Amino acid sequence: MAETHQELLARLERESRAKQEQFMNFIAGKLGRPRVTAPPQHPFRGAPDFWNALEWPLEERVAKFTENFKAVGGQAIRLSGIVEAGAFIVSKAAEMSARYIVRQDQQSLAELGLESLLPEARVSVWNEDPNEDWKACAAEADFGVVLADYAAAYTGSITVLSDKTKGRSVSLLPTALFALIPIERLKTRLGEILSDFDRAGRENLPAGIHFISGPSRSADIENDLTIGVHGPGIVYALIIG
Amino acid sequence: MSAYKTKGSVKERAELALNDDFLRKAVKFTTERLRIGKMNAAEQHGNWEEWRERGRQIRLHTIAHLDYYLNLFVENARANGVHVHFAPTGAEAVRIALAVAQSKAAKTVVKSKSMVTEELHLNHALQDIGVEAIETDLGEYIIQLAGETPSHIIIPAIHKNRYQIAELLSKEAGEALEADTTILAGFVRKKLREKFLEADIGMTGCNFAIAETGSMVLFENEGNARMVTTVPKTQITLMGMERIIPSWTDLEVMATLLPRSATGQKLTVYMSGITGPRRTEDADGPEEMHIIIVDNGRSNQLGDPEFQELLNCIRCGACLNACPVYRHIGGHAYGGTYSGPIGAVLTPALQKNVAEWDDIANASSLCGACYEACPVKIPLHDMLVYLRRRKVEAGHGKALETIGMRGFGTVAGQPGIMGAAVKLGQLGQRLVVRDGGIRLKVGPLKGWNKYRVAPTLAKRSFRQQWEALKRETANTGQTMDPVVKARMEAILKERAKGGGGRHG
Repeated sequence: MAETHQELLARLERESRAKQEQFMNFIAGKLGRPRVTAPPQHPFRGAPDFWNALEWPLEERVAKFTENFKAVGGQAIRLSGIVEAGAFIVSKAAEMSARYIVRQDQQSLAELGLESLLPEARVSVWNEDPNEDWKACAAEADFGVVLADYAAAYTGSITVLSDKTKGRSVSLLPTALFALIPIERLKTRLGEILSDFDRAGRENLPAGIHFISGPSRSADIENDLTIGVHGPGIVYALIIG
Repeated sequence: MSAYKTKGSVKERAELALNDDFLRKAVKFTTERLRIGKMNAAEQHGNWEEWRERGRQIRLHTIAHLDYYLNLFVENARANGVHVHFAPTGAEAVRIALAVAQSKAAKTVVKSKSMVTEELHLNHALQDIGVEAIETDLGEYIIQLAGETPSHIIIPAIHKNRYQIAELLSKEAGEALEADTTILAGFVRKKLREKFLEADIGMTGCNFAIAETGSMVLFENEGNARMVTTVPKTQITLMGMERIIPSWTDLEVMATLLPRSATGQKLTVYMSGITGPRRTEDADGPEEMHIIIVDNGRSNQLGDPEFQELLNCIRCGACLNACPVYRHIGGHAYGGTYSGPIGAVLTPALQKNVAEWDDIANASSLCGACYEACPVKIPLHDMLVYLRRRKVEAGHGKALETIGMRGFGTVAGQPGIMGAAVKLGQLGQRLVVRDGGIRLKVGPLKGWNKYRVAPTLAKRSFRQQWEALKRETANTGQTMDPVVKARMEAILKERAKGGGGRHG
């Protein structure tokens, strides 16, 4: 009888565990010493000290983020609050005749009031109905609207983390992406964000952590820059506050 | 899709490349753009040497404790719900990937850029069992349609112009597409969207694997790697066993070095850290995730003092862009999966058969530009010399070269013979010198003079001038401090005892 998929996985698992010791012992042998099983001293962990001291004041963070994000073809705008952000997205929806919008299931994104402000358009909330094919929805959407978990000014990056209310597809599949960045989440360096993941530890990490630094791009055809190859070609970073 | 046994020598393949005018110009233009982009990015970022040194230290530390960190990664990835597999050989990795694909009854696999799968010729293997493997990086997709291999690690279709690309894509579209970048890229976007949504398996490489949390990290600009890790129900990641770094904190250093060195970007458009398959309540991401850890010759470098640092490589391609030889001959001339200086060392090192790849190590002028460009300071130019030495030691040197060198040794070792030979040359060259150079293309001068002009021997050699020079300088300049002189004489005596020192 043919092996079922579960049986295959179980067999591969047994193989893997049997090979693991061999594999590691072989490496240790090649390195000419017994296996290392205790955490070794790692004196050069992370960025150099002079770098870790860098922290820009808020206004500089906003200015640098905006400059960097624009330099790669993204748009960055500072808005005073959620209401203004809602009005901004609505104006862009009218400009680009957006018919379908998918947003993450977040309180502050609900406060944008897109559903009532855009009666002509369809607005879906990620994963609100578990029977829906949400990847297909996101692929159909003109706009994806997300709330950034972090942003880094030095590289002009937005960070989004996945969970059941925050689909990875929402920042990836729609034609245009709108990312709201609450100003207090805007850091100076990548390291300020990355070290949080070490602190959180394995058990608390989401399946997907994505840094987004502008619109999707490629220079694969004759070095000619093309925007929006697979991911969104239009990206708005809305700094709130 | 790739020619595993590449025909001819590096020299023959390079001749082909040198004859292809477009390729040469394209490679020159692209590498120049990337090289300058990198230099500007490094300068703008500042303290580049400190960052390089930090990057090197992190890589050295991880590789020196690879058994510990790899094991830690495996345990954590398993705890995240990943099916981890070990593949000592390429064949083993292929076997595991095929077993999963077959069991899933997969029809299509969408792939994001992965040098490891190129190494394994996995696309071929998938094809053989009736699974369509689709490369989704724009450049990789183009060369897959053309049935070719990447010629640059970062810009794989560097050797194709837009007309050739339009022709390839038009065949795929079933209609004539204009040779316009936006139109061509737009077609690929639409075509591959369908493929992403219907694919059974997403297959990726891995830029870095974080030991402490069992996460895998991908750097990319197009979004195809995100597609491949978000949309299909099964994800298979192939990872070279040396891709490990200890922590997310260490990732900041790699994220600082890799994009700047590869393209001059502050960060690639997307940097994704994937920690296990989707959580039960998530509505996207793979339900099943496999990571296949591949050795395939990497362990040959472990414990080898001359080559262990090869494992520090972060695959940025900066050494290609800096290399004067690569810029002239392009990637295909190297004949392996990896091209440029890193390829010249890595290919023979991974295959452990210096004989077969003996000519690759000679495709370098040993100028050291690769080392200067390398963000983790791998001494590639030294390694090329080690390779050449091993080649000669293994008896793969050229007989004629050996005889020639021996002859030169005899002549140069005896002042009388050397003097006579120089005089003979000075007389003889009168017959062939034109415009202050020798352009004769016969005998040993044939190869050299094909693209160059050999210099003439000086009218009077240094030795012939020596007597006069000695008289002129006898009473000028400072006399040496007797203490220094004594010390130097002592060193000379010491050296004579030791029978010749080392080159510094």
